[in-house]
Amino acid sequence: MRELFFFQPDIVSALASGLWISVQLIIPSALLGIIIGVTIGALRVYGTPSIKAMANGFVLIFRGFPLVVQLFIWYFGLPYIGIYLSPFVAAVVGFSLCSGAYQSEYVRGAFLSVKTGQTLAARALGFSQIKMILFVTLPQAFRRALPGCGNEIIYLIKYSSLAYMITCIELTGQGKIIASDSFRYTETFMVIGALYLILTTVAAWLLRRLETRLHIPGFEQYG
Amino acid sequence: MADTIPILRIEQMTKRYGDKEVLKNASLSINKGELKVLIGPSGGGKSTLLQCINFLIKPDKGRIWLDGEEILRAKGKALYDYRQKVGMIFQDFNLFDHLTALHNVEIALVRVKGLNKGEARDRAVLELGRVGLTEYMHQYPAELSGGQKQRVSIARALAMDPEIMLLDEPTSALDPELISEVLDVIRTLRSNGMTMIMSTHHIGFASEVADELVFLEDGSIVETGSPVKILYQAECTRTREFCSKITEMYGNASS
Repeated sequence: MRELFFFQPDIVSALASGLWISVQLIIPSALLGIIIGVTIGALRVYGTPSIKAMANGFVLIFRGFPLVVQLFIWYFGLPYIGIYLSPFVAAVVGFSLCSGAYQSEYVRGAFLSVKTGQTLAARALGFSQIKMILFVTLPQAFRRALPGCGNEIIYLIKYSSLAYMITCIELTGQGKIIASDSFRYTETFMVIGALYLILTTVAAWLLRRLETRLHIPGFEQYG
Repeated sequence: MADTIPILRIEQMTKRYGDKEVLKNASLSINKGELKVLIGPSGGGKSTLLQCINFLIKPDKGRIWLDGEEILRAKGKALYDYRQKVGMIFQDFNLFDHLTALHNVEIALVRVKGLNKGEARDRAVLELGRVGLTEYMHQYPAELSGGQKQRVSIARALAMDPEIMLLDEPTSALDPELISEVLDVIRTLRSNGMTMIMSTHHIGFASEVADELVFLEDGSIVETGSPVKILYQAECTRTREFCSKITEMYGNASS
């Protein structure tokens, strides 16, 4: 009989609030990650040597430090220099920067895949460097980077579970609480896993729709 | 006196890559409405010369005058303004792959010239009509033939109202049967009085339309003169050799 009581309303509402926190973490982190990724990726391709070096340094650090360590620094470390971030903000900052570092690699590759002739043509027409990037290379690079960037977003959905390590109680955090209260680790985490699976499936579907929507002849997608 | 000022003049243009001088002290001037054709073997410096003229390649040395005014600051806004007056056509067309033919022509009008959307649209439609592509204006580059792509790129350059056009082997990447449609457009430009510097291997076409042929080899301008002079009475042996070889390959004025 106990099995039937396992999913009580309070457990369902705890899971729902955890899921909601997760979604609130994921969406801004994904968007900021893309913005940071595009910016850093563009700087790594079109920047002056010193700017390139700085952008590469950014990627080296935020891709090289374990994400948990980065979160600990934002949440537990910054107070030592008088900066207090809420668990939620610290998590979003940590996720965005880490995600941005990974995204920049996909974006960089995509910028490099735009034929140099097109940059010559843009410059010959009188485009400044920044206008050329915004109106000629970025729209093409973004389409080429999309599958990779989508992959990173899927990954972000799953590593958002690390937020509970800095006391931001999202889906995994709620799961941990429920599991330790009920001792039903297997069931609880099976449910949590399934909820993440739903999130990633929805995200994959949305990304696929975006790809289709942005599709133009000459930028073929397969499958 | 006024009409003897060349529209474009370059002097002592030099470009080095490492110790290799790919352009050596090239000087050239062209009057309004003239068409000069650069000929010479591949790697002889034709593309480098053309790309130095609009600073796509930064020359190590050399001076440029447009309309009698020297281009002293090849940077920032001055450079972007200058480039708008110097249209360029590339061998590989270099259309923007993510934009339709219409948007390819429109984009620089909006983003560089600052026209509003409506004006830009009207102008783009007009220019595409002139190169005979009205029905294709909503196609993407991937859906156009090489000849059509090159005509779009000509429309794109003309929409900027350039004072001079640089054409870098505009037909070299085209299938033989598509070449004539592009050459026809260039012929029309010529008769409308567009000033052009063009590099090509189409010696027949060149001799038909050019005011002057310029023979470049190893980065130097070897000889300059009327088509008749360069093709049949060249002073330099190398020019004669090159011209007889290329005439054999690309045929006479009829092509």
